[in-house]
Amino acid sequence: MNKTLPFTFFKIHPKAILLEWQQEPNSDLLHELNCFKEKIKNHFKEFSQITQGYCSLLIQLKSNIENSNKINNELILLHKNINTNKSDKISKHWSIPVLYEKLFGLDLEYLSIELKLSTEKIISLHTKKTYNVYFIGFLPGFLYLEGLDSRLFFTRKKTPRLKIPKGAVAIGGKQTGIYPDQSPGGWQIIGNTPIKLFKPNDKKPCFASSGDTLSFYPVSFEQYTVILNSKNQSPYLKSKK
Amino acid sequence: MIEILQLGWHTTIQDLGRFGQQSLGVPISGAMDLNAFNWANKLLNNDPNDACFEITIKGPILKFHRATYITITGAKVRLTLNKDHIEMYKPISIKKGDILHISNTTVGCRVYIAILGGFQTETVLGSKSQFKGLTFNDRIDKKSVIAINKIPFVTKLAGIKAHLIDYSNINLKVYIGPEYHLLNTSSRNSLKIKQFTISSQNNRMGYRLNEKIKQQLPEIWTAPTLPGTVQLTPEGTLIILMRDAQVTGGYARIFQLTDDAINLLAQKSTLDQLKFEIIRYKE
Repeated sequence: MNKTLPFTFFKIHPKAILLEWQQEPNSDLLHELNCFKEKIKNHFKEFSQITQGYCSLLIQLKSNIENSNKINNELILLHKNINTNKSDKISKHWSIPVLYEKLFGLDLEYLSIELKLSTEKIISLHTKKTYNVYFIGFLPGFLYLEGLDSRLFFTRKKTPRLKIPKGAVAIGGKQTGIYPDQSPGGWQIIGNTPIKLFKPNDKKPCFASSGDTLSFYPVSFEQYTVILNSKNQSPYLKSKK
Repeated sequence: MIEILQLGWHTTIQDLGRFGQQSLGVPISGAMDLNAFNWANKLLNNDPNDACFEITIKGPILKFHRATYITITGAKVRLTLNKDHIEMYKPISIKKGDILHISNTTVGCRVYIAILGGFQTETVLGSKSQFKGLTFNDRIDKKSVIAINKIPFVTKLAGIKAHLIDYSNINLKVYIGPEYHLLNTSSRNSLKIKQFTISSQNNRMGYRLNEKIKQQLPEIWTAPTLPGTVQLTPEGTLIILMRDAQVTGGYARIFQLTDDAINLLAQKSTLDQLKFEIIRYKE
């Protein structure tokens, strides 16, 4: 069955239109957004680019939108014709090594107390799940992951840290993610990955893309150091399953 | 080449920005005041995307090791070439060995220096705009030695009159944002009437404002943002995203600055005042 979900339009800028789905993010919606994205890219001649959120798409055009109704109707038609059963994109699975350890997981002990879970339990809940790579945003190569175990949901820090270390694996609300570079941020840090998430001079700067899946596996300090210093990190990204 | 004899406060290389990379989480970047930037290139008959210096508040002292032409636009500064006073918004002939002094800004806070053919620095993901983690340097430092092209100057555009923005204007024109409708009447009114102050937390990523809005809006599922998006945090703080801003955010988006309003705000700094003026789309 090819069932698609309703969305709303919002003109956010003279050259940009925002599409929003009023619901909780989930795998079906993600799949639909990715199918729709491909249709949109191929449809508009004046297309500039498209960015994604959990429940939204932002379409940026090269020139001012003169007739919103016309574009909205075109989008409705495009949306009707997407076939969510069929997808040309092959999604990949990535396994990310993480050192879950006090020195790197700055908030691991704090979360353990607040969530009333042992650090071992937090690590096992975090590594057992397969996450959807929902989209990339915030910073170059920052992957927004969906699928966090609800037992690990935890609010962001009231006052964000000024410096979150590069590679920090963290929990923010119902989300988990990895900081690709040192930056300010309010998420709770539970570990660190030696994997480089963004290489600006590579043909494909970020290995993952929206629609892929990802999981974490624990590594020792020795393994962490080996991966950090290895020139080719791709063998460590392979699926453990 | 150009040598940096003395550093200013914060000088970066900027062009029009990085496009088509936002789905990788890469900010657009580019010159904060695109109007002044565009004029700097236009007056030299440069390519519109040629890289310029963007100087913030305090200018550097530069030494030119090759004859060329430059144009300086944007915030008001006093310029001295060797010992002679020179004018802004005009092509200036530079001889080998010339030393340029740029004073602190008096009106506005960002100055652009365009050079004939643009500054020849590294291109990353289609742009020369410096950004931490993407380009080798995220700003010009004292060790920076910047290459320039040797190309002939075509004078046909010399003498053209630049369109200047009045940097003392405090009204920022905005469109309403996707979460604006969640605000109650009293919050909407205070946004329309209130005069806001720019906090000391203002940079190329964004400007935080001092005054808070009483109403608290919930966080949203992380969603796309643009340069010029005005966010309202759950604590009631307003943050205006600028050119280096993240491409997605989790705060309510209540306004969107017009492109001209972003250029105007780019010339404002700590303790400057501003007001929002809501406008509608022309269709």
